Amino acid sequence: MIFQNIPEPIDELIRVLGYWDYIFSGFLITLWLYGCALILGFFLGLFLSIVRTYGNRFFSTIATAYIDIMRGTPLIAQLLLIYFLPYSLNIPISAWSFKANFVMFDKNITLILLDHKTMISILALSLNSGAYQAEYLRGSLMSVGSGQLLAAQSVGMSRLAGIRHIVLPQALRRVIPAWSNEAAYLPKYTVVVYFIGVSDLFSEGYYIVSRTFLTLATFIVIAIVFLILISIISKGLDILHEKTRIPGL
Amino acid sequence: MNKLVLKVDNVWKSYKDLQVLKGISFEVLEGEVKVLFGPSGSGKSTLLRCINMLVPPDKGNVFLRGQNLNEHGVNINAMRARIGMVFQHFNLFAHLKAVDNVSIGLRRVKGLSKEDAREKAFNALKSVKMMKWADHYPAQLSGGQQQRVGIARALAMEPDVILFDEPTSALDPELIGEVLQVMLDIAKAGTTMIVVTHEMGFARAVSSEMIFLGDGIIEERGSPDHFFTNPKSERVKHFLRQLDILYGSHEKLLQPLDEEDFK
Amino acid sequence: MSEIPDISTIFFYIITRGLPATLLLTAIGLLLGLLLGLSLALIRLYGIKELQIIANAYEKLMRGIPLLVLIFIFAFGLPTEFFWYIDPLFRPVYTVILALGLRSAAYQSQIFRGAILSVNPGQMEAARALGMSDIKAFRHIIFPQALRLALPSWSNEYAIVIKDSSFAYAVGVIEMTRAGYRVSSGFPQLWSLSMAIVAICYFLFTYPITRFVGEGQSKKLKKLGMGGG
Repeated sequence: MIFQNIPEPIDELIRVLGYWDYIFSGFLITLWLYGCALILGFFLGLFLSIVRTYGNRFFSTIATAYIDIMRGTPLIAQLLLIYFLPYSLNIPISAWSFKANFVMFDKNITLILLDHKTMISILALSLNSGAYQAEYLRGSLMSVGSGQLLAAQSVGMSRLAGIRHIVLPQALRRVIPAWSNEAAYLPKYTVVVYFIGVSDLFSEGYYIVSRTFLTLATFIVIAIVFLILISIISKGLDILHEKTRIPGL
Repeated sequence: MNKLVLKVDNVWKSYKDLQVLKGISFEVLEGEVKVLFGPSGSGKSTLLRCINMLVPPDKGNVFLRGQNLNEHGVNINAMRARIGMVFQHFNLFAHLKAVDNVSIGLRRVKGLSKEDAREKAFNALKSVKMMKWADHYPAQLSGGQQQRVGIARALAMEPDVILFDEPTSALDPELIGEVLQVMLDIAKAGTTMIVVTHEMGFARAVSSEMIFLGDGIIEERGSPDHFFTNPKSERVKHFLRQLDILYGSHEKLLQPLDEEDFK
Repeated sequence: MSEIPDISTIFFYIITRGLPATLLLTAIGLLLGLLLGLSLALIRLYGIKELQIIANAYEKLMRGIPLLVLIFIFAFGLPTEFFWYIDPLFRPVYTVILALGLRSAAYQSQIFRGAILSVNPGQMEAARALGMSDIKAFRHIIFPQALRLALPSWSNEYAIVIKDSSFAYAVGVIEMTRAGYRVSSGFPQLWSLSMAIVAICYFLFTYPITRFVGEGQSKKLKKLGMGGG
């Protein structure tokens, strides 16, 4: 049964790879979404973790609640909730977009860098990733030890300055292993944008399937691209970790 | 004439480039208490672990009542069940109550029934005066109490010999006494023991022979009297002096110290 | 449904129509992940080198591809004859369970490995000194403690799997997310709200467990003084 396919798989893979321009554009969009979400999520996470660790009880509780809710609910529900808001509130959506156009090996590639759907995707991914990053950052903030901040204050720094100049640098170096975890695996979660029609790597894969009906070959190619991407990011972060090592930290 | 229980025969052990044990040999007769002492890093702990084959020696053999433990095909687990071990850091099974800590070896290794194992466990706990805490978890016990349970765990197996690896080194000073007392009691009751320790009071009270281990070899051995009145080697003298300063025979402390003592 | 459903109707619909599938997917997926994950952990800790390499590669693979891709490969990529033994009605559910379980196994392997390694090494020494074989020592001393140590991370994994079960939405399984979509499908003004209610439903099943099992267990473990080898 399945053995009927064995003689053909190479041929199938080649046919799928014929759509390399779609795969490539999807890959770039995934990369774009991932990068934005990671960076925006980082700043959000940093803010939340500082509020949680050093803020007063009221704000700290709000931050904690936000983190718990974002981590306790599925990304799909979050994305769809935000996406449906304009429909539910009857706000008209204008069709706008920022595109990037270039030619590669005789193929015309158009990337939609920012439009209504992409913006919502980046927003939802950032809000979600920020919650997870906040947890890691909070852990590393707390691992720095209260003695460091006390020492900073004792030489006359304000609390904020102490956090900024003494605690944060140490915390940021300490968080690299855990953060690498999030950073390396975040690309996987960007596939949820498929549900709202953004042309990321996965959606392009689906498009290719609809044209070629070579489901297995296509998704294997997609899987391999993800695998390579994640491995490269992982490895890169490991090297970064080595290079920024401080003894005793 | 007492029977031979343990024979350590020319044991060698090295870790990577470091030769930790260089041809150690000695015998232990029934009822004897051998005290091993010496500077840290001299291989005392390693020697104990070579005896019960937790760390097999590179060269040499260990004989338990004539049976070569290093032999191919020997059931080492059954042999280990006949050698008790008490650890510096107690190593009580954290998820088991005291009585279960003592009985688990009887049940799972010796195959006793639950009731028999429990009864023997209670007897062992009684002999170390820990009956009241039989249902406590290790984390609820002080260090001294934990170590006494550890001794009970070894006793319950009715071993041929019990190995003690610096049993009081990890204890707060005020807790050392209760453990030493238990060890004195079982020594007087005729238990065959090999004890690595610097508790010289204990050594003086019950040891049949003291063995000084330095740099992986037996530097000197003899009765307690020998060591405390007239040790031969300079190293031994130096070491004993250091211990004296540590444990405070205060007259020595009041005398002006020479540079020697700071080495 | 011709009349606009209100909040309680939506909530009720999601729970009655969606929850059973969600729980089924989660429970069996986790179970599959547990059995396979535990085996992988043991292989990586104690197995022969060749098996270790395979186990390692498996984990890297499962952690490197998105769950949705895995689900699609199983649901649409494999020839239909592959799952001949499953009633076509249940195939979507089956494929999602398979994907969830295989993925979770990679993570649970990590969890159990970490837990076993963090049991105090002195415990193993004491067990062997008593005369226990390595297997006995593992079964009676190491494993019971490792399970307790693994509980906080494991409750986290449970939360991840139940949230991931929402991907079954893509293959047509009526779990909570799709139920939420269905009940409000004719009424755009309710779409956002129904997704919010879906989120709340998931939250009810994740937060209490991770908060109290996970953290409560951590405190209990500290009291018993276990781990931290």
